[in-house]
Amino acid sequence: MTQVEQFHYDNAIVKKFAYATMLWGLVGMLVGLWVALELVFPALNLEKPWLTFGRIRPLHTNAVIFAFVGNGIFMGVYYSLQRLMKARMFSDMLSNIHFWGWQLIIVSAALTLPLGYTTSGEYAELTWPIDLAITLVWVVFGINMFGTIIKRREEHLYVAVWFYIATWITVAVLHIVRNLEIPTSGLHSYGIFAGVQEALVQWWYGHNAVAFFLTTPYLGLMYYFLPKAANRPVFSYRLSIVHFWALIFIYIWAGPHHLLYTSLPDWAQSLGMVFSLMLIAPSWGGMLNGLLTLRGAWDRVREDPILKFMVVAVTAYGMSTFEGPMMSIKSFNAITHYSDWTIGHVHVGALGWNGMLTFGVMYWLLPRIFDTKLHSVKLANVHFWLGTLGIIFYAIPMYWSGITQNLMWRAFTPDGFLVYPNFLETVTQIIPMYAIRAVGGALFISGVVVGIYNLIKTVSSGRLIANELAEAPALPTKHVAEGKEHWHRWIERKPVQMLIGSLIVVLIGGMVELFPMWWVDDNVPKIASVHPYTPLELQGRDLFVREGCVGCHSQMVRPFRFETERYGEYSKSGEFIYDRPFLWGSKRTGPDLAREGVGKLKKADSWHYAHLYDPRSISPGSIMPAYSWLTKNDLDTSTTAAKIKVLRQLGTPYDSDYELTANEDLAKQAAGIVKRINEEKPDLGLPEDADKKEIIAIIAYLQRLGVDITVQDQAGNQ
Amino acid sequence: MKNKYQRPILLAASILLPLATWAQAPAAPVNQDFWANTIGVITMTVAAVVIVGALLAVAQLFSSVVKMQEIQMLREKGIEEVVESYRQPEQSWWSKFYKSMTQAVPVAQEADIDLGHDYDGIRELDNKLPPWWLGMFYLSIVFAVIYLFAFHLSDIGKSPREEYENDMKVAKAEVNAYLATVADAVDENNVVALTDPQEISMGASIFSANCASCHGQKGEGGVGPNMTDDYWLHGGGIKNVFHTITNGVPDKGMIAWGEQLRASDIQRVASFLLTLRGTNPPNPKAPQGTIYNPDEAAVTDTTAVATPAAADTTATGK
Repeated sequence: MTQVEQFHYDNAIVKKFAYATMLWGLVGMLVGLWVALELVFPALNLEKPWLTFGRIRPLHTNAVIFAFVGNGIFMGVYYSLQRLMKARMFSDMLSNIHFWGWQLIIVSAALTLPLGYTTSGEYAELTWPIDLAITLVWVVFGINMFGTIIKRREEHLYVAVWFYIATWITVAVLHIVRNLEIPTSGLHSYGIFAGVQEALVQWWYGHNAVAFFLTTPYLGLMYYFLPKAANRPVFSYRLSIVHFWALIFIYIWAGPHHLLYTSLPDWAQSLGMVFSLMLIAPSWGGMLNGLLTLRGAWDRVREDPILKFMVVAVTAYGMSTFEGPMMSIKSFNAITHYSDWTIGHVHVGALGWNGMLTFGVMYWLLPRIFDTKLHSVKLANVHFWLGTLGIIFYAIPMYWSGITQNLMWRAFTPDGFLVYPNFLETVTQIIPMYAIRAVGGALFISGVVVGIYNLIKTVSSGRLIANELAEAPALPTKHVAEGKEHWHRWIERKPVQMLIGSLIVVLIGGMVELFPMWWVDDNVPKIASVHPYTPLELQGRDLFVREGCVGCHSQMVRPFRFETERYGEYSKSGEFIYDRPFLWGSKRTGPDLAREGVGKLKKADSWHYAHLYDPRSISPGSIMPAYSWLTKNDLDTSTTAAKIKVLRQLGTPYDSDYELTANEDLAKQAAGIVKRINEEKPDLGLPEDADKKEIIAIIAYLQRLGVDITVQDQAGNQ
Repeated sequence: MKNKYQRPILLAASILLPLATWAQAPAAPVNQDFWANTIGVITMTVAAVVIVGALLAVAQLFSSVVKMQEIQMLREKGIEEVVESYRQPEQSWWSKFYKSMTQAVPVAQEADIDLGHDYDGIRELDNKLPPWWLGMFYLSIVFAVIYLFAFHLSDIGKSPREEYENDMKVAKAEVNAYLATVADAVDENNVVALTDPQEISMGASIFSANCASCHGQKGEGGVGPNMTDDYWLHGGGIKNVFHTITNGVPDKGMIAWGEQLRASDIQRVASFLLTLRGTNPPNPKAPQGTIYNPDEAAVTDTTAVATPAAADTTATGK
């Protein structure tokens, strides 16, 4: 028979990714704690632009998703893939390019996001040069992974590897399509999709970032590390097959559940809802295969902290994949959407599933590659309990606050008025919940600190086996079937077919939902009175994007009595055709702004000026950050021409050569606003050159919101 | 084997489903309530089944733990007792049901279903798909088909827009029915200034919640005009003030509060405003508009008096 070959596993790269996981995990979670505290004590924004909630909330989400979990994925994949393939990674150089490239991307994200360079699409905020870098590094990862798979000594691909392959190809597709954009400058771009189309692309992407970055690669890790740690056989191979294919096929359809009751066409909303419901079983397939693999090892779960971490992780996975489909049921979504319930939901997944599994894996793997024992089982148990309690103290206040706030939003008096017409009342009510949530987060982080200490002590007590000797027979050149095989064994021998198979399976849902939205005009009925933004409004809108206002303020009035009563006419898809990026938002910590410039929400220019400068001088108790720098910074009008040109290229009907005179219109409109403010409130003491300041552009944009559709109403041409 | 057909059926069903959505039927709902309730019942049933499934999963986990301990114990006491324990003659309906819902091969016999796979030491068993899990999967697919049919191929389900219009109609009827039972018929023609201190203090709290952000906590003015002087932009006196509050002055940023406050509350806040006259709060905004003399009950036009921009020399700034 074949000769047994000797080779070495590369543990050095695993170590690097493990260290990066710990470092970025801590950083990302501390940023999260800071933003949580900002909601309780708005003074913590410190009136520093780069420290305000709107700018660093995306830093938190990006850091924990792409830096913490991202490095966690690579750590686990580089460890398990080599062993499952019985081969060293394809190229040490690619491994290192992958590692350092990824860290460079994280650092550039950590610099650009607080500085306000963002495209504002959730989890796709990074600017176009970083998007390109991500694409390159992802390709490097892919080559390295497939190179390893091709030169493997193990004939069949284990289920973990199916998940890795599906992850890689799907993330590639999602990332590229979501970030199709045209640059207007070195760090700014406009996306090729606008309004409702972009919204659908965004949540097709955003939901599947959860699916294929936070879920499938971690299922792969679970399939390797859980049976290893428990030393038990995987419960059901058949279940692996069915839930793998069903999961990746169904997941991709579910994005529209982020857009229920919005202006997204009904058919797409319904698809999002029913496919989300059908996701329960495939998701639970993973949970069952994990938990049932522990049959016969439950007595050890009591003693082994690693298994405890894994059990809580898999249980949290089961809980959030049950909760998610429930939240996709339209009538329930009407309550949870825009509220803190969503925040609680994602943290059960992120802290429970990703956080606990990451540390379970690290506790298992680091002692092994450092040829030593875990420094302290006791500390690991302390970490476990701090983490578990942290999750509970995080999630419960969020559910509570979500329900409380929604019930307050929708409460009517018998004579037909909102019981809480002032949005602020519904915010001050839940601030105690925000405080408890911060305690929960702090507990979780203190667990992480204990864990990192424990791992550092572990590592320093051993020595890295950088190249671990292993041996395995070479891959047989011809497949010899042993008896009757399951039909699925065929594709397990064919990595390329597996890649193409998963690509086809994930493309179906995307195409059925996205193509009609792109190419069938009926899906976005035009509204004649909707016009492009003026240059000043456009610049103001980009400042609104820069400051991350959309993190707290939605622009999407849903067709509910309690929303139209509070905000005005519900939103129509035709209103958004010139919106790049779309700013519907997904959370209302502040009120919706879709009708801010009209009707009962319309405020004086001077009100906005004073309110942006110091929100609490106008609304005592408000938790909005103060944007005093907007009154000091000069508006950069040098970008106007390039922006207008790109937008015209994308189909916004600006007259040809309008970019040459756009800044004249901009100055005229700004001067008008300053004049009005001086008339309304002379004691604001506006500086001489107030019309050059950024705040005027933002005010112009806010006053534009909702105007187009109101004009139409007055003209009476439906 | 049943399993041969499971995957193709699952896949075919989920691929065919979306086709149903292409047709968007204009809705002319018949028997709305009946069908709306039916959909509700179906939703609740599915939710209930799913929850039962969740409980079953927990029960299964629990029982595996118990079983493990049992086996461990029996192993120590000898194989005879294990065999004996499997020979237990009567099984309760529950344990039969439970077994049929899980169909998991006991750990002690797992060697029989070991597939012989070995991935870096990881082995795989060939347990069947848990029937309760499979049932849940099929049920969710059936629900999807029914839902898409109801909302996109038939007139049964209502679109969000139709639901909204219906809700508005129902709410309007309810409000009207309520209003018919209360005699709160204040309007700008019959409104009178209230003097009851309790009413005035209610007016004060409405003022500080809604008006103070523009008119100052003490009515000294801010974005909006001073409420404490004798000058009025849109007329003083209870009737004019009631009118201005109710309808707003949209061009100047004054909100039409009639959409947010009930008439009796507007009467209260207007009455409170009238009590502010001559209170001389600190940092007053310069007078705007014309003098309104309540005693004459008619507007005295003194156009030359108001020069707001020039008058304010004490601007506090920021």
